Amino acid sequence: MADPLLKIEDLCAQVAGKEIIKNFNLTINEGEVHAVMGPNGAGKSTLSHVLTGKPGYEVTSGHVWFKGKDLLKMSVEDRAREGLFLIMQYPVEIPGVPVTSFLKHAVNAQRQYNNEPELDTMEFIKLLREEAKKLGIDAEMLKRPVNVGFSGGEKKRLEALQMTILKPSLAILDEADSGLDIDAIKVVSNGVNALMNEHRALLIITHYQKLLTYIKPDFVHVFADGHIVKSGNSSLSEEIEQNGYAAYTKEQ
Amino acid sequence: MSGLLSDIALFGADIPWLDGLRSRGRSAFVLPTAKTEAWKYTKLHALQRDDFVYSPSKFLEELEGVADSDDECGCTCGCGHHHEHEDCGCGGHCQCAHKPRLYIDLPFDAYQIHFYNGKFMPLYPALPVGVEVMTLMQAVVEGEAKNYVGKYIDLQKYPFAALNTAMLEEGLFVKVDAGVSLQKPLMFIYHTQTENPLVSNIRNIFIAGKNSSFEIVEYFYHVGGDKDCYFNNIVNEFYLSAQANVKHYKFQNEAFKAVHIALNYVNVREGAFYKSFCLQKGADLGRNETKVDLVQEQAQAQVDAAYIMNGWATLDTTTDVEHLSSSTSSDQLVKGVVGGQAKGVFQGKISIVKDAQETEGHQLHRALLLSDTAEIDVKPELEIYADNVKCSHGAACGELDQNQLFYMRSRGIGEDEAKQILIDAYLLEVISRIDNEQIKEWILSNV
Repeated sequence: MADPLLKIEDLCAQVAGKEIIKNFNLTINEGEVHAVMGPNGAGKSTLSHVLTGKPGYEVTSGHVWFKGKDLLKMSVEDRAREGLFLIMQYPVEIPGVPVTSFLKHAVNAQRQYNNEPELDTMEFIKLLREEAKKLGIDAEMLKRPVNVGFSGGEKKRLEALQMTILKPSLAILDEADSGLDIDAIKVVSNGVNALMNEHRALLIITHYQKLLTYIKPDFVHVFADGHIVKSGNSSLSEEIEQNGYAAYTKEQ
Repeated sequence: MSGLLSDIALFGADIPWLDGLRSRGRSAFVLPTAKTEAWKYTKLHALQRDDFVYSPSKFLEELEGVADSDDECGCTCGCGHHHEHEDCGCGGHCQCAHKPRLYIDLPFDAYQIHFYNGKFMPLYPALPVGVEVMTLMQAVVEGEAKNYVGKYIDLQKYPFAALNTAMLEEGLFVKVDAGVSLQKPLMFIYHTQTENPLVSNIRNIFIAGKNSSFEIVEYFYHVGGDKDCYFNNIVNEFYLSAQANVKHYKFQNEAFKAVHIALNYVNVREGAFYKSFCLQKGADLGRNETKVDLVQEQAQAQVDAAYIMNGWATLDTTTDVEHLSSSTSSDQLVKGVVGGQAKGVFQGKISIVKDAQETEGHQLHRALLLSDTAEIDVKPELEIYADNVKCSHGAACGELDQNQLFYMRSRGIGEDEAKQILIDAYLLEVISRIDNEQIKEWILSNV
């Protein structure tokens, strides 16, 4: 069997001196959809930040292997170019940078990394318009600065568009917070479901089971006190929906 | 005394008013010190040397004999501008035989005017009717210049205008007649290529007739070694008649070790509009100073600027907008990006006299610091004596947004590229205020 797509081994990580991730283990193979669920404030988002390499998150021990390579040794941009994509909960506004040119930079940076010829403006715009249309994004939005003045739904549409264009091997859908915008989630779910195939994988980080009615997970993990306390199939998320997290947090 | 004043012979010493004006400049010129308020942030170490040189007067040279050799245009230089003596309009005084190519590949069409090492190259573009371009000395001889040169410039207050006045000779006199609109910009290209510490004083006068409109682009650039440390000292005077519309764009991209100091004096009459944008990027020491007098009702000015620098440079943007009449308005937006050990200076003043009611004056300066050792000095000043006015000013300094950088990198964009994209976007706010699309693109491509 091939290397797993992602293998997290005994990962410990801290933020501002406080240990948030403690001896975390998780293996994701191609074609799998995993959901990590946990109560608010348990540090679920820290996991996505550590995986993408956000500054301020310090890994104190453990390993993360992505396609057999040491992920933690890679720069933020190289992790993305290797095929890791974080669908952010709160996408960042970038005034003065139109969506089109932002995405063109991203696509060509990835192509350069993979020794593929860069796309010229015409080729790129054609590709972008086709994909945008599928997600119900009109051409006008592509000219606007990235996320500036976008509604919650529009921001998620743009995240989905970026993912569609960059075609990651592993997408991480971070919806850790309780404030869940169902319309926005539908948009992202459609994008994710369209992209999934036997070579790609998805990691969902969420508080509510609700999200998992739009994207069916193969595996559900309960995250508490910095690591996975229970794993199961999608019936585990239904159980949590009924009984809450109390049973898992009391254990600690 | 510094070696900035020279005794070289200048054209027109026998013209009493001109001679008197130069003498006033000579006696008013004192190199500012750290105690000079208007120069307290911008240190002039680069000018404290005594080996500055001047090149001899071209006008006197011409009078002494070059003028008669008019059978030889001398156009063997391959400069690409003209090969037919009749076409060039140079009157037989073409000196380009000794100069390198002056052709510059610009992404837009313009009436090009060239200066080489501080001297005007007498190659006149074919200008439409109603537009006159002549040397300042010719305008002196014809009696046109006397009414304008230095009329409103306080030589005690502007030491480098005093120096420029003391050495007054080079520069052009441009007159656009009433009602005339220029379809293409008039572009002044200042080439410098010198290993000597050459000082060039250039004075240009622009007269915009009633209801006239034109664009002027100034481009200062350098060909040659990195160590070239010349000094360009420029004074422009703009006189806008009623309802005139003048747009003034400038790109200062002098040599790494050069000094560039410019004063733009602007006099705006009823309903006229002066709109400017200056990008400073070159020079070890650069100062672009603009003094606007809004002298009649409905006069308007927009004075924008951007600066971008690294290394040890000091780039200074200084403005002084005086509202001297009611219902006048002004707006200033200045944005800078400073890295390395460089220093950005912004001094912006808006003053409104007692009778200038219903006046609007706005000013905003913002800068990005790219390193811990970069420095920004900002001095906004409002001096308001009228009571019915709308005024605002603001200044802010910041760093690149770490969340934006992370977001871009998490999409695969490399760190340096992401920074450059953010810097471009930062400056875009002011650059996008340029109306002329082609000039806007040209400026953007040079950021």
